[in-house]
Amino acid sequence: MKVLANVNLCQGHARCEDLCPQVFGTDAVEGKVVIIQPEFPDEMEAQVRLAVRNCPEGALRIFSN
Amino acid sequence: MELRFQPSPPDHVPPELMVDFDFFKVPPGVADPSEIWTSLIRKGVPKIFYTPHNGGHWVFTEYADITDGFRNYSIFSNHQTPVPPIEPYPVMQPQGVDPPAHKVFRSLLAPMFTPIAVREMTQEIQRRAIKLIDAIADKGECDFVEDFADVFPTSMFLYLFGMPESRLGDFRQLSQTFFRSTDPDVRAKNITDIYAELDALFRERQQNPGSDLASAIVTARNEAGEQHDWQDILNAGFLLFVAGLDTVTNTITLVWRYLAANPEARQFFVDNFDDPVAFQNGTEELLRINSVANIFRRVAEDCEYQGVKLRRNDRIVLSGVLANRDPKVFVDPETIDLDREVNVHTAFGVGPHRCVGSHLAKREIIVALQEWLRRIPVFQLDPNKSQGNVLTGSTMGFSTLNLSWER
Repeated sequence: MKVLANVNLCQGHARCEDLCPQVFGTDAVEGKVVIIQPEFPDEMEAQVRLAVRNCPEGALRIFSN
Repeated sequence: MELRFQPSPPDHVPPELMVDFDFFKVPPGVADPSEIWTSLIRKGVPKIFYTPHNGGHWVFTEYADITDGFRNYSIFSNHQTPVPPIEPYPVMQPQGVDPPAHKVFRSLLAPMFTPIAVREMTQEIQRRAIKLIDAIADKGECDFVEDFADVFPTSMFLYLFGMPESRLGDFRQLSQTFFRSTDPDVRAKNITDIYAELDALFRERQQNPGSDLASAIVTARNEAGEQHDWQDILNAGFLLFVAGLDTVTNTITLVWRYLAANPEARQFFVDNFDDPVAFQNGTEELLRINSVANIFRRVAEDCEYQGVKLRRNDRIVLSGVLANRDPKVFVDPETIDLDREVNVHTAFGVGPHRCVGSHLAKREIIVALQEWLRRIPVFQLDPNKSQGNVLTGSTMGFSTLNLSWER
């Protein structure tokens, strides 16, 4: 599975990084999301979904390969 | 003086949308600032309504409309928004400017408040929190507002601006007058004094730049390679002074008031000292339920929104309390669930004006919780002292919070 971010919607709340730092980080310039590991293993699905659902801007989407 | 941003008389407001509501007044019997807002919902008001108080303004009551108010700057401008209306009002940089011009100062400040930047500040945040807590831990009692909640963010402001801790008293005086005084002459002099301090500071940093925020702002260059307009530099300093003080003071006051009365919540945080995700989730929940800010917007052009006619310069009040207790978004919203699974609260706003200092504010609160609970794990509302008054307005909180504990 794969997770993608719409950086135009991202406002740098960093909730994704707080909840799932293995997959999401933030940059040093604007503090916006950087996806470290877009293709994540199945066993991480619950944690990634939780991060996605906690984005206050709805900027993250999960896609099935 | 030309009054360009004054609202018109509310001829366009249908009687069924008119509600008698004054959020600058604390109704009798209200013990918690959030009740000012939640009592409205219990009364059953229209989801968008107008009140003639405080110069007249709309109130959005649902999460979807409140977040639209935050985000949709082409309808809901952040320029010249004060409630009640005051003109001229200082254009705080970048908060009082709409995109795309907003980007100039936002881009300048953003790198200094990213999660990466805030992680670098953690040790200093800890040092300052510990110093304050150690000074009161042995006393067995304190006025939490006076002895901690008010001092801590002011101390952090001095750190960010590279000023010595010896200036703490001066800056506390300035901020207390700014947030508490209702005397127009005192307020006018206070704003002049704050700007004079900022002017002196920026001039000094222009000569001797350091690694602090003031130096970064004064040495930054615009697209033409020149220093930013001096007034904008001062206004950015002013924003950083006022935005990070009262908000943090009142949030932590409300959080400590809750913890004083709820031993199981204190235990939750003590049990999760070594689990940063759980500790932060608990903090996010306390931020959701203790949203202290009432945020203002101004209608940019005559328009119809959700079937309601809005007129240019109408003011909109966006309440964090109402957004964050909307049952359409939050499961069982009145329950404080420190393990809440989905928590898209708006304590720091959403959209392009999302509080630039939110990660610093959260770190301040988390560090304060950790260091306080390590030293004072059990405390209560002091039964021998009266508690303070509910404060309301653009920021809500309490005037005093008397706590006691076993020495």
